[in-house]
Amino acid sequence: MASPDVADFLQDVRLFQGFSDGDRAAVARALREKTVRKGHILMREGDDGDEMFIVRRGALVVSKAVTGPVEQVLARMGPGDFVGEMALFDREPRSATIQADSASDASLLVLDRGSLEALMEANPRAAASFFRNLVQVFIERMRASTNLIAEVTRWGLEATGLDVENR
Amino acid sequence: MTNQAAPRRAKLELLVRKPADDGETFEVREVGSAVAFVQLRPQRVEPETYEISEVSSRVSGERSFILKNRQTERYLLLSDAERFLWEQMDGSTSLQDLATAYVLRYGEFNFEIIPTLIRKLQRAQLLVLVPASRVRKALARNRGALVIKAIESTLLVLERVNISSRSVDAFFRRLYRWGGFLIFTRGAVAACVFLTVLGALAAHHLWNHAEQVAAGLGKSPVLALVAVKLLFLFTVAAHQLVHGLALVHYGRRVREFGFTFLHGFVPTFYVDVTDVFMTSQRARVVTAVSGALVHLVLGALWFLVAMQAPPGLLQGFAAASGMIQWQALVIALYPFCFIEMDGYHVLVDVLGVPTLKSDATGYVAALARGRAGLPASREEWLWIGYVVLSVVSIAAFISFNVWLILHAS
Repeated sequence: MASPDVADFLQDVRLFQGFSDGDRAAVARALREKTVRKGHILMREGDDGDEMFIVRRGALVVSKAVTGPVEQVLARMGPGDFVGEMALFDREPRSATIQADSASDASLLVLDRGSLEALMEANPRAAASFFRNLVQVFIERMRASTNLIAEVTRWGLEATGLDVENR
Repeated sequence: MTNQAAPRRAKLELLVRKPADDGETFEVREVGSAVAFVQLRPQRVEPETYEISEVSSRVSGERSFILKNRQTERYLLLSDAERFLWEQMDGSTSLQDLATAYVLRYGEFNFEIIPTLIRKLQRAQLLVLVPASRVRKALARNRGALVIKAIESTLLVLERVNISSRSVDAFFRRLYRWGGFLIFTRGAVAACVFLTVLGALAAHHLWNHAEQVAAGLGKSPVLALVAVKLLFLFTVAAHQLVHGLALVHYGRRVREFGFTFLHGFVPTFYVDVTDVFMTSQRARVVTAVSGALVHLVLGALWFLVAMQAPPGLLQGFAAASGMIQWQALVIALYPFCFIEMDGYHVLVDVLGVPTLKSDATGYVAALARGRAGLPASREEWLWIGYVVLSVVSIAAFISFNVWLILHAS
């Protein structure tokens, strides 16, 4: 179980905005703490998983395999951000590899699928807030992904000198 | 109306995994598109895929060339300069090298000609772009060996070290005004000659007492030599400063000054003097040579100090420093050592063969594999001569240093 000050920390987590103090306390009770040592991997692309993680301290680097030992950095997650929620809902393998930044250990709060479902079932109002917040974050991430695609395409064009305009 | 900011250069953030004692570690690197672009190594298609013919204008007398892709039946009209660049596109010459070769050949900048030609050749399907360096490819191929892996990792870390500034022109101009201009006076040349003579006499005197001088280095001659080499590193900064001052002397702009690891493992200071290509050949030669003369002067001064010093560590240290400085002078000015130092740049400038090293090593490698015929043309003999002289010179240099260490021991 997570430490008592977790409920206070959850006030600053976007995912739990709109929750009452009681709702947050219930979430805090369902969370457990986990530490990932700096540079160590939390989850690998392709792994099975039924947990999501909220960053409490430190930072996570999200990456996706490109070739051999080289991966594309997709995002960096700091305190208040969350990862791993996709597998929680679609039950598919992990879509990316996530590791603690090499600068410091990452302190995480873990929410598993069973606990989340129990919480949502017990408090539909909090569940509505949770999913509204989740959708907003997804929209932001989708915008970031499309920007990243454009940036990667631009990189490719600049790096190869490919003449698209007159091709 | 909207004010759109100038587009920044695109960067990719890549995470590279590496094995570690406790499993695995990683490193995140930013790779700029501009960096990737200048490292591209364009390679023209196989010789049987194209043919080229010369067309001379009877009016202007200028030469042009028609390049034909035999497979796609496309024709391109190339200027003399474009044909020169086409010939360099052998898959081993990067765009950066191409630009240097172009400048050395034509003595002018034309930032657009290379990308424009590449686009033209790509459209005609006459070009393949090879992005990675050959050294990196070789290391990657043999990554299974622990030593190779360690070398590759070390190179990766070191080559990222680059402390530099692009706002140094004003600094060099102030330095020039505050006395730097004196280096380029007749008085300075006379003083340099005078010091060289004194230094040579001192070196000769020390040579006659070599055993006493060597004994001064104490019981750890290798350690002493390492200390001398470290001290020497800082004189490389002076060498580069003088290059920059020479540039100011000829009214050109110093674009950058900094510290990095050359080829990933040689710590060095550097100055960007590419603006010197906008001036005369004499200016280029003076700029190249003046930096190296720092080692001549410092070497002479160290020898004089060694001669005056009582037998002991100071004398040994000063004599070794003098020797290292004069060795540096030789390395900087001696063009036959596979290193593109000042002397090499002067040589290729004078010969008008900007890709001498690349051509020579390529030809000799092909010759060794039986893929090239015996030398027949003057150019091929030049390549052979360059490689033979370089190999012999490097062997002699290494032997001399080994002998020095053994002698000191």
